[in-house]
Amino acid sequence: MPRESVLEAGPVADIGAMAASPYLPEAARVLSVRSLTAMERLFDLEFADGRALGHAPGQFVQVSLLGIGECPISICSSPTRPQRFQLCIRKAGVVTAALHALRGGDMVGIRGPLGRGFDVSELHGKDVLIVAGGLGLAPARSLIQYVIDERARFGAFHLLYGAKHPSELLFREDLHAWRDDPAVDFHMTVDRPDEGWRGRVGVVTTLFRELPPLDPQRTVVAVIGPPVMFKFVLLEVLARRIPQGRVYCSLERRMKCGVGKCGHCQANDVYVCQEGPVFTYGRLKALREAIE
Amino acid sequence: MLDAIISTRELLGRVDELLRTQRVIGPVRRDVPDATPPVRWFYEPVSSARQLDLGFAYCVYSPKQYLLPPRETLLEFHRTPDGFSARPVSDAQPTALIGVHPCDLHALVTLDRAFSHNGDDEHYQARRRRLLIVGVDCGKPCTPGVYCADMRANVADEGFDVMLQPLGAGADVERFGVRFGSPRGRAWLEAGGGCERPTAADERAADAWQERKEASFGRTLTTAHEDLPAMMARSYDSLIWEATARRCYSCGSCNLVCPTCYCFDVHDELDLSLQEGRRCREWDGCQLQDFALVAGGHNFRSKAAARLRHRLMRKSKWIGERTGGKGCVGCARCDRACTARISTVEIYNQLAEEV
Ligand SMILES: Cc1cc2nc3c(=O)[nH]c(=O)nc-3n(C[C@H](O)[C@H](O)[C@H](O)COP(=O)(O)OP(=O)(O)OC[C@H]3O[C@@H](n4cnc5c(N)ncnc54)[C@H](O)[C@@H]3O)c2cc1C
Ligand code: SF4
Ligand code: SF4
Ligand code: FES
Repeated sequence: MPRESVLEAGPVADIGAMAASPYLPEAARVLSVRSLTAMERLFDLEFADGRALGHAPGQFVQVSLLGIGECPISICSSPTRPQRFQLCIRKAGVVTAALHALRGGDMVGIRGPLGRGFDVSELHGKDVLIVAGGLGLAPARSLIQYVIDERARFGAFHLLYGAKHPSELLFREDLHAWRDDPAVDFHMTVDRPDEGWRGRVGVVTTLFRELPPLDPQRTVVAVIGPPVMFKFVLLEVLARRIPQGRVYCSLERRMKCGVGKCGHCQANDVYVCQEGPVFTYGRLKALREAIE
Repeated sequence: MLDAIISTRELLGRVDELLRTQRVIGPVRRDVPDATPPVRWFYEPVSSARQLDLGFAYCVYSPKQYLLPPRETLLEFHRTPDGFSARPVSDAQPTALIGVHPCDLHALVTLDRAFSHNGDDEHYQARRRRLLIVGVDCGKPCTPGVYCADMRANVADEGFDVMLQPLGAGADVERFGVRFGSPRGRAWLEAGGGCERPTAADERAADAWQERKEASFGRTLTTAHEDLPAMMARSYDSLIWEATARRCYSCGSCNLVCPTCYCFDVHDELDLSLQEGRRCREWDGCQLQDFALVAGGHNFRSKAAARLRHRLMRKSKWIGERTGGKGCVGCARCDRACTARISTVEIYNQLAEEV
């Protein structure tokens, strides 16, 4: 007759379910899917149990299609609009292509919110400058919406956005609204125009000419875009004497677990999925792999 | 100080007792004609305590596979037309690991810390809670090339439920000095009634054994253990990385055999029904070309030199700084596994010469 094992029998039977797992996604319903460009779609989501995501601007989730895979996607809506949350997803590979095939009513798995976003309490009372390039507008939008919804808590609000081509402009409705909003100092540009384009042409850094003098003592800056953009924007920002601790950047890395175990997202010794994706430039400077 | 003395016969009896209720894993000797000497040891399940060879030199692979299997199912899921259901699963079963040398004990502590640091990994913890660990001390360097003493990993004071110290010499050890590391280890070993109280002569024999052991370990690293992280910090831009990485095949064998490597990949499997499936994880390695590759083609560590540096920085600096566990225990399995004959010790020593 088998005796009691000296080892803890514990909450798990020999084979079977466990009480908890950091890898278990929760069911969320796709409320609607809209095409933003040929490559990007906007997904409105809501948890099956109706609870709010409870994120900070700049955080991300792991989106799952069981049987296909999982990938990290930034939350592109603000926690000030908690009824639903939004993801803007570019078709880039296996999982994102399958996500693009979804329609309203379909279910996805969500883990998160994950990582560290913007500490908005540090931003309150400050002038805010957000510089977004390309798909970087998606994570930036969670902060943009936050600033707009909590407008009284901030000083001046400058927003610069650059896309490669007019066909790649994201969130067109928002772009119009921001342009017409007197409380937002909004400028945008494209690298290459098409025939119908009436706006500015040039890389995003050319928009710095549009800005009034910034007060280095009370300005915070968020730079979100492709790695090539970082350096050039940083030069503009540092030339305006903004302290490194008040310049924020968001990093992209390969991610699998999202909880600081699998090792994929490391920039040197730092787990971007845990300590990031949002970092101050002051912190990033010490991370050689972050800016190489 | 010893907590008890147990004879080999009584010890094996206790292991056979364990076998009635749980899986027992330990060093098993295998003939490997191509090897010199023509034997190797592997951690394998046994069906009788007599299959264990507690006088083993070293096990080719570390016991990490019993806590972090090369492949394991994290979730089972079921897809339906209007959604999915998923549940985390574990096949963790009560297991006793009998016969772990100090280096591998340290490495298990490293894994414990990695999978509990900043949040538990329940899949790892489910196995860990069911694992009884019985260490056995090694009397001398198990094989040439090890640098466990340099890494302060040839002696272990934690990471075991029971620690055995062979008393006397030779293959036919008849008695072990015992130290208990946990109440459950003590409860298991004492339950047989075969534990004796150590005499003054036993204590003297144990001390003498320890002294002989200490004297038998040389030093290979030219940098002292406590100076290694600082030395590595100064070596970030060294050309040695590139000079060495030219020979590297980026095969990842060094990652696979390393007892402190724990990076993994996650992928889904779907049955033919397209309804039932599993989300699985499997070992991954930072030396592999695509480890940091993202969609769109950007590789954040595209050069072998950057990957080699990343591995050794983790081993000698970052893991320790993050979790307090040892990033490297000096077992030299990576060096032995490397077909390009890249030696971690040589790299450390070359770097130290430079800075
Ligand atoms: C913090 C963070 C936020 C992101 N936010 C967005 C966003 O808002 N919108 C968007 O469209 N994209 C975003 N991405 C990029 C997005 O994660 C990748 O495009 C996506 O993982 C590609 O997955 P795939 O399976 O379609 O591609 P495949 O090339 O088939 O990739 C296979 C797997 O590799 C991993 N992987 C590949 N590329 C990346 C990558 N760039 N980052 C992380 N893991 C990767 C994933 O686990 C992925 O499932 C973000 C990435 C990170 C790290
Ligand atoms: S085992 Fe050797 S050749 Fe293979 S990845 Fe490691 S260092 Fe490179
Ligand atoms: S890095 Fe090499 S020597 Fe160090 S623990 Fe890993 S396999 Fe052993
Ligand atoms: S994504 Fe796994 S450690 Fe960050």
